[in-house]
Amino acid sequence: MADNNDEEPMADGGSGTGIVAPDDETPTWRERKERTEGLSRLTYEYFERARREDQDLRQESDYVERDVLAFPAWPHEMIRNLSLTSFFVGMILFLSATLPPHIGPPANPSSTPAIILPDWYLYWSFGLLKLGPLNPELSILGGETAAEGAKLMADRTYGVVANLVVVGFVAIVPFLNKGSARRPVEQPFWAAVGVFGVVFAFTISMLSIKNLLPIGSNLLLDVTFLLPFVAGTISYALLRSMQEGYMYDLNRRYYRLRPPK
Amino acid sequence: MADEFAKGTAILAGVGLIWMVLAGWYKTPSFEGAQLTGAPPAELGTYGEMALVLESGLRWFIIIGVFTFWVVIPAAEQTREYFAS
Repeated sequence: MADNNDEEPMADGGSGTGIVAPDDETPTWRERKERTEGLSRLTYEYFERARREDQDLRQESDYVERDVLAFPAWPHEMIRNLSLTSFFVGMILFLSATLPPHIGPPANPSSTPAIILPDWYLYWSFGLLKLGPLNPELSILGGETAAEGAKLMADRTYGVVANLVVVGFVAIVPFLNKGSARRPVEQPFWAAVGVFGVVFAFTISMLSIKNLLPIGSNLLLDVTFLLPFVAGTISYALLRSMQEGYMYDLNRRYYRLRPPK
Repeated sequence: MADEFAKGTAILAGVGLIWMVLAGWYKTPSFEGAQLTGAPPAELGTYGEMALVLESGLRWFIIIGVFTFWVVIPAAEQTREYFAS
């Protein structure tokens, strides 16, 4: 045994051949031969290469178990980031050289436009100010005349409170879900919540410019609140149906080591 | 299937970029009016006429290429699989 001390220490004791016995999730040779073409082949080779590098890292003598196993920053991530950066910088240079932007006449501060709208990314908040039809009317307060005084709060106050509700919900979501999923398939419900939010942001933006849309006002209000639920339900069902198959198992196996929640 | 989709996307993005530049040069008379589809100026030199011909060719190449790779070839393969089984 004294002679072995001079040799390079190995994680598995140095007695084996370096060949790791397949576990239950290792694909059989027949399964490997079935992925012989196109994108499935490329994806398979990518993950197989990653798995092999992972295995080699683990068998090195100075390997220390950590929480996260990923690609090293150099050279993998750096080459990818540099190529992406080069592409976008080149695209900016190309477009600015070939299609220089139009510089219009200066704005006229003495004339007011006919339609005043905020910038497009604030349409959702502007749409929340137009939820007057949803403001509940209380017959106790004012009787049958719904025009004046029959509501608990004014429509504009109701719109501001709606803004607070939406912003509050967006602020609460990170505390309900810590975001440990790497891709939407792993947590279909929260992915559906995200789809709901995106679609609702779009529909409430459409509601804010309802006088410019060729849709009836009542129908538009219904669609504004129905479409997010429809889209969220469809995406939930779709993602649940995607929770099977070889690629999902492979992803789950590769990303089994996770950062602590 | 995924390869055909990537080919159609490559045609749409790559050729579409060149087409957008040419249409921006020759078929966008003003900022307020029609974009990329406006009327080209009347007096064009030889290079301008060649560019217009190229623009039209690229436009039809995008339409036919994307239609081919996204619709025709997958439909043909589906049909062949259906009749083979």
